[in-house]
Amino acid sequence: MKILYNWLKEFVDTGAVPAKDLASRLSFAGVAIDAVEQTPAGELLDAEITTNRPDLLGHYGVAREVAAILRATSSVTSGTSSGTNSGTRLNAVEPKLHEAAEKAESAVQVEISCPDLCGRYTARVLRGVKVGPSPDGLRQRLAAIGQTSINNVVDATNYVMFELGHALHAFDLDAIAEHKLVIRRAQAGEKLRTLDGVERALRPDMCVIADARRAVGIGGVMGGADSEITSATRNILLECAWFDPISIRRTSKALNLRTEASTRFERRADPEMAELASRRCAELIQQLGGGEVAAGVVDLYPRRAAISPGATSSIELTRRELLRIMGADVPDGEIESILRALGFAPARTDANRGSRDSLVAAWKCARPSWREDVKREIDLVEEVARHYGFDKFPARLPTAKQPAARMPHAAAQDALLERLLALGYEEIITIPLVDEKLDAQFRAAGVSPATMANPLAEDAGVLRTSGAVNMLRSLEWNLNRGQRNLRLFEIGRAYSLRGNKPREQQILTLGLTGQVREKNIYEPARPAGLEDLKGDLEALGELFGGFEMHPAEAGWLQAARAARIVFSGAGLRGNAGGDAGADAGADGGGDLGMAGQLARRLAEEFKLRQDVYLAELALEPLYDAFTAKRAAIHYQPLPRFPAVERDFSLLLEDGVTFGRVAEIVRGLAIAEVQGVHAVDLFRGGQIPAGKYSLLIRITFQSRQATLTEAQVSDFSARIVLALTAKVGAALRSA
Amino acid sequence: MTSDPTRQTLDALGIRSEEAVLALFADMRARFEQDANSKTDLDEVAWTTLRNAWLGRASGIIAGITENWLKPAPPDLKRVVGKALNELKARVEAALEELRVRTEAAAERRAAASGKTDLSLPGVPRVLGAKHPIRQTFEELEKIFLSIGFTVTEGPEIETPYYNFEALNIPEHHPARDTMDTFYLDLPATAGGPPGAPELLMRTHTSPVQARTMEKQQPPVRIVVPGKVYRRDNPDATHSFMFHQMECLAVDTDITFCDFKGTVDYFVKQFFGPKVKTRLRPSYFPFTEPSAEVDATCHICDGKGCRVCKFSGWIEMFGAGMVDPAVYGFANYDAKKYSGFAFGVGVDRFAFLKYGIDDLQLFFQNDVRFLRQFR
Repeated sequence: MKILYNWLKEFVDTGAVPAKDLASRLSFAGVAIDAVEQTPAGELLDAEITTNRPDLLGHYGVAREVAAILRATSSVTSGTSSGTNSGTRLNAVEPKLHEAAEKAESAVQVEISCPDLCGRYTARVLRGVKVGPSPDGLRQRLAAIGQTSINNVVDATNYVMFELGHALHAFDLDAIAEHKLVIRRAQAGEKLRTLDGVERALRPDMCVIADARRAVGIGGVMGGADSEITSATRNILLECAWFDPISIRRTSKALNLRTEASTRFERRADPEMAELASRRCAELIQQLGGGEVAAGVVDLYPRRAAISPGATSSIELTRRELLRIMGADVPDGEIESILRALGFAPARTDANRGSRDSLVAAWKCARPSWREDVKREIDLVEEVARHYGFDKFPARLPTAKQPAARMPHAAAQDALLERLLALGYEEIITIPLVDEKLDAQFRAAGVSPATMANPLAEDAGVLRTSGAVNMLRSLEWNLNRGQRNLRLFEIGRAYSLRGNKPREQQILTLGLTGQVREKNIYEPARPAGLEDLKGDLEALGELFGGFEMHPAEAGWLQAARAARIVFSGAGLRGNAGGDAGADAGADGGGDLGMAGQLARRLAEEFKLRQDVYLAELALEPLYDAFTAKRAAIHYQPLPRFPAVERDFSLLLEDGVTFGRVAEIVRGLAIAEVQGVHAVDLFRGGQIPAGKYSLLIRITFQSRQATLTEAQVSDFSARIVLALTAKVGAALRSA
Repeated sequence: MTSDPTRQTLDALGIRSEEAVLALFADMRARFEQDANSKTDLDEVAWTTLRNAWLGRASGIIAGITENWLKPAPPDLKRVVGKALNELKARVEAALEELRVRTEAAAERRAAASGKTDLSLPGVPRVLGAKHPIRQTFEELEKIFLSIGFTVTEGPEIETPYYNFEALNIPEHHPARDTMDTFYLDLPATAGGPPGAPELLMRTHTSPVQARTMEKQQPPVRIVVPGKVYRRDNPDATHSFMFHQMECLAVDTDITFCDFKGTVDYFVKQFFGPKVKTRLRPSYFPFTEPSAEVDATCHICDGKGCRVCKFSGWIEMFGAGMVDPAVYGFANYDAKKYSGFAFGVGVDRFAFLKYGIDDLQLFFQNDVRFLRQFR
């Protein structure tokens, strides 16, 4: 809403207050002024009006706020609480009409058949008006507030709308069939060409203004084109009505037609203002275009009792409530002068009303028709507080009464984050709305995604069921910008629907590509491999009691380079699944997630020209396991006797895994075996095809004594025997 | 070396008296001092040679004296030989130790002078990750609120219109719904279900967790709610259809506007620095009354006016206010007994301001050259 300072001054005496100062004071009273500009019509204040204050969509309403700002408080002027207010007052609007003998009622007939949509309708009739251009002063004002001048009659309706905040519409009376108006619901299939030249299809929940034959306007939104005021117009029917806010909102939305009128009606215009605004507009038309005004007004007000409680209801404000909410007091004089200036007509009603600033003070306040937003005591508290000044209330911290707590999983998440950062992973945060087709490639069977009914773009149409798409997009973004060595992670959510029930699960997604070590003066470069991802996962798994990885199949991972992740020791219970981890763990003892190398087909789809390794884990089961793992940590006395290492160079059939070898060694249940490590592996050379050489290092240590050579030789012999017997391992002489 | 006296016994040397023994040791000592003093530009090799000559286990001079003088000495001379030997040995050891320190220092000086050590070369690179600036901002805000007794809680991002709007005093057709363009979910029609199946939407703010918390818990309530929120805005430098908020809610029997002001001022100062001042401008939100916009003096220019604050000295921070009593109605709180305040901080905006970032999209593109600046 644009406000001309000169226009304001017609309603309130601002004395010598400069526009900039007034703008600032308005802002601190709740009428946000974004800027003050110079225009040919004087200084212009650009106000941002909140939706609860339709009364401020006109200069008169803003002038009322100004009057409250420039109030003189009774505490200053006198010592009595009667408070004769000698401060700035709002001038009354008192239009003067030269009325003809003809009565409005005999000039037009009006009928409201849908009082639920149109609560009040007033009609005035003007005859012999000379339609023409508006005078310069008026054109200048309209131009300053961003309105185009049309002609003096239309300009008058606009001018009054920006003055009093109530929209009006002028019809060419001679275009109204039988001079009869019916305010009714639109008929099914009914159409109307509106003032902007667009033909609108109407619906029965819309309110139309119709004459004896057809609709001539959409009530409260826009008039019809073929009853508009033209240079040929002589006789005018001036409408000023009150339309139901919800109905206007719906209509305006359905037609995608937002007008100055609809904006005012949908926020709830002042029903009492309708007649006054009509009178004021008739006065202005008469001033600008002459003519005669038919006596009186046709005024149908079927919903008066419902929409304008007026004098019959009141609100009470007590000091106790003011203190309870605000925490500091406001003097009587301020309370009363603020409420009086805003039109609430406060009157002390408590037994102590003779004494100022009494703790039990209570005021009975009127409910002005233009302030539908003020219905409750709290609303009055706010009115007083905002004009008294938020800055006058002291700041203090509330007393704490309970210990503060972090999220239950915060400690586990901290540990996870710390480890991820130490492993060199950069954290990413992405927008989880993704392309349905891409997300589907990573989705487990039976998971239904949550789809947007009104997506902004097709590639952001579903909530992700895994973090894979976002991760790959982030890798792609970086690769396209020359950043080739990447370790990224995201802690986020995966979303799905079960029927109509939404599910949100916390997930961790890892992405790894390029070199894990760039060439430097001490070391050569080393490209990332599946083993790096596995090592990282093992380092993470340590926080949660350990991970195991087992071969799995998933369409989005390369065959034989895909693994499902389970807790250590849970390997036999898990069942192979192909999803990206989002559904993991929820069933208890199942897969925690998946890891592996991205399938070539998908790498191409995401234009990734280097190997990419991905992992995804469900976080809830990990967070639960974290607590258990921490609780299970018990100190082990350090060994007092030295450890002995023995290397075994084994020749094994392809397919006999290190895991199997270690399992056989451990299966011997030699208590002195402390560790089984793989230290070297090679194929080719002297190794026959179909076999490979694996060097394992076994650490022996006793808690009772230093091991003798004989003991270690005995253990070694048993190990070799078992490996030979179970997997046909041959010991190579080193 | 055949004339080396330490290869012969005292008897063979004709030493019979204590005086002669002492004179002999004095000669040995003089010989050592001469040996040691001749090696002024000691390097490690020369030092080792000297050490071996005197203290070598098998053929050192001290070992020779022990073997040839002390062991076969006649009983009447043994005591004086032993004492003199110990004194000589102590002197040799002390002198050699001193020489060693000097030798090593000399070696270090020579190495330094050679210019072969280049400390400007980088060490072996260690790759470390970084937390996303949004997480860092969340963590910082959480710490501030934890320190004044607020508990952290979370809620779902897929919400019902009830929690996102109704329970916050935003009924259907309320104009405030227009200001929060909302993503709705496309739900499968429930076959045979009642008409008007429940709607779901992406929460437009973290405020639904207010209602969810109050439903479960009677006052006192002090919570902060970090999380993602969604609005159907076309992305640009200052808009994204997903961004982050942190909701703050306090409800109790004694929470007033003064507590609200104090909390806002405290946390803004903690986050942006002690010099920052705050102010409140009255505003309107359906779920608070009185409502306010919180401004803070620009932390870049200390309120003098700069590009960041558009030369006003002040920056708009977030919307806030005292909880509207209508909201308590949805939570079954006694609005006559309880009062409180609530606000929602735009976390991306806070990070924006703190780090002088000028494009919101940077947060979600995850360019590592951007992320690594926040290590």
